[in-house]
Amino acid sequence: MPEVEFKGKKFVVDEDGFIDSYANWSEDWVQYVKTQEGIEELTDEHRKVISMLREYYEKNGIAPMVRVLSKVTGFKLKHIYELFPSGPGKGACKMAGLPKPTGCV
Amino acid sequence: MAFISSGYNPDKPMEDRITDIGPRHYEEFYPPVIKANKGKWLYHEILEPGVYVHVSETGDEVYTVRTGGARLMTVTHIREICEIADKYCDGYVRFTTRNNIEFMTPSKETAYALKADLESRKFAGGSFKFPVGGTGAGITNIVHTQGWIHCHTPATDASGPVKATMDVLFDDFKNMRLPAHLRVSLACCLNMCGAVHCSDIAILGYHRKPPILDHEYLDKMCEIPLAVAACPTAAIRPSKVEYEGKTYNSVAVKQDRCMFCGNCYTMCPSMPLADTEGDGIVLMVGGKVSNRISRPTFSKVVVAFIPNETPRWPTTTATIKRIVDVYAANAKKYERLGEWAERIGWERFFEKCELPFTHHLIDDFRDPAYYTWRHTTQFKF
Repeated sequence: MPEVEFKGKKFVVDEDGFIDSYANWSEDWVQYVKTQEGIEELTDEHRKVISMLREYYEKNGIAPMVRVLSKVTGFKLKHIYELFPSGPGKGACKMAGLPKPTGCV
Repeated sequence: MAFISSGYNPDKPMEDRITDIGPRHYEEFYPPVIKANKGKWLYHEILEPGVYVHVSETGDEVYTVRTGGARLMTVTHIREICEIADKYCDGYVRFTTRNNIEFMTPSKETAYALKADLESRKFAGGSFKFPVGGTGAGITNIVHTQGWIHCHTPATDASGPVKATMDVLFDDFKNMRLPAHLRVSLACCLNMCGAVHCSDIAILGYHRKPPILDHEYLDKMCEIPLAVAACPTAAIRPSKVEYEGKTYNSVAVKQDRCMFCGNCYTMCPSMPLADTEGDGIVLMVGGKVSNRISRPTFSKVVVAFIPNETPRWPTTTATIKRIVDVYAANAKKYERLGEWAERIGWERFFEKCELPFTHHLIDDFRDPAYYTWRHTTQFKF
């Protein structure tokens, strides 16, 4: 799998730019994905979504459904798209270091 | 080729971004005669296979010439369709729900000139580019899927078997000899994209081996609870696996319970199950979606397995041809294949079509399986 380098740190990613393992996630990864996803500035709201995704994944082993994400963070889907233009799957999950969404997507 | 920008600025992806505009309104592309007579059609008539006429209460007529399409097409081919539409139909053309192409014109002479032109066009290999047909009680285009062209879960190809089958059934595309129309569909795995579950004859890609587990990567690539929940027979459970001295979170598959649906692979890339010898085709028959005479029905499995025989799938196409011919010779007028099989009884269907009946065809999926068994003494020897 290809490797990307960002600020001296190396990450192994797949062809869609998702990190190879949840365990290899770090703050640098967030900064790297930020440059990829067209996000200008990371706000507390971005942080809230990412920490919620990571907590949920650690606890349950899956990414939350969109309605769960909305309900827990209090952000409507529209607002999540404003935060992450590629959406909760391609944008937020990628930034949180979760595995790539699967199924008929 | 060097990069040529469309004007999109990757540094400001949300700037000048247009979204949620939906498709173009279909009225923008109506031929004038369709626009003028919308909602006023009196009757229609099939003049000959592939050519029909609609007559409006204003007296206007529109002639439609239907031609087969391969569905998977190059831009060159679409340009040729446009060129034909420009020449005969003022640039108007449409595609049907079974991916045939329809050219419409208000004049009968143009329609027949168009038909002659369409029939004269061939690819370098000799195939018709635009075979006219697909109307009435015949066999029209095959609704099909992606196969080995583009999908990652198929058990068979789509375009290949469809071409092989349509070659065998080509005469029935060009004429209307059958008791009723006969719909053939193909799906390359049992996700059943398209219409295989409700077609007169359905070709379905099928696996025969359980998934192979990539323990080293499974937990990293997959959300394990999703893989567990994807299984219709609950053959998958989470487990810790020792692999090369390390312990990994992974899953275990109870092989006795696995029926090779491949749902787990859809959810989890570390559980691939495609296999050259194991994979093949299941044939189903007797489905329909219309409400005409009898209610809509699902198609039923009648051939449990035919191997993939690239590039022409001879066993598959021969079996389909046999079913079509037996149906054409035996069914009553207006009787769909499923209605015919129900009337004569499925034991007679297997006898007439010379299909072996194997234990694979007996439903064993949960409580509803019981209702597919025979709870009567009424049967034929």
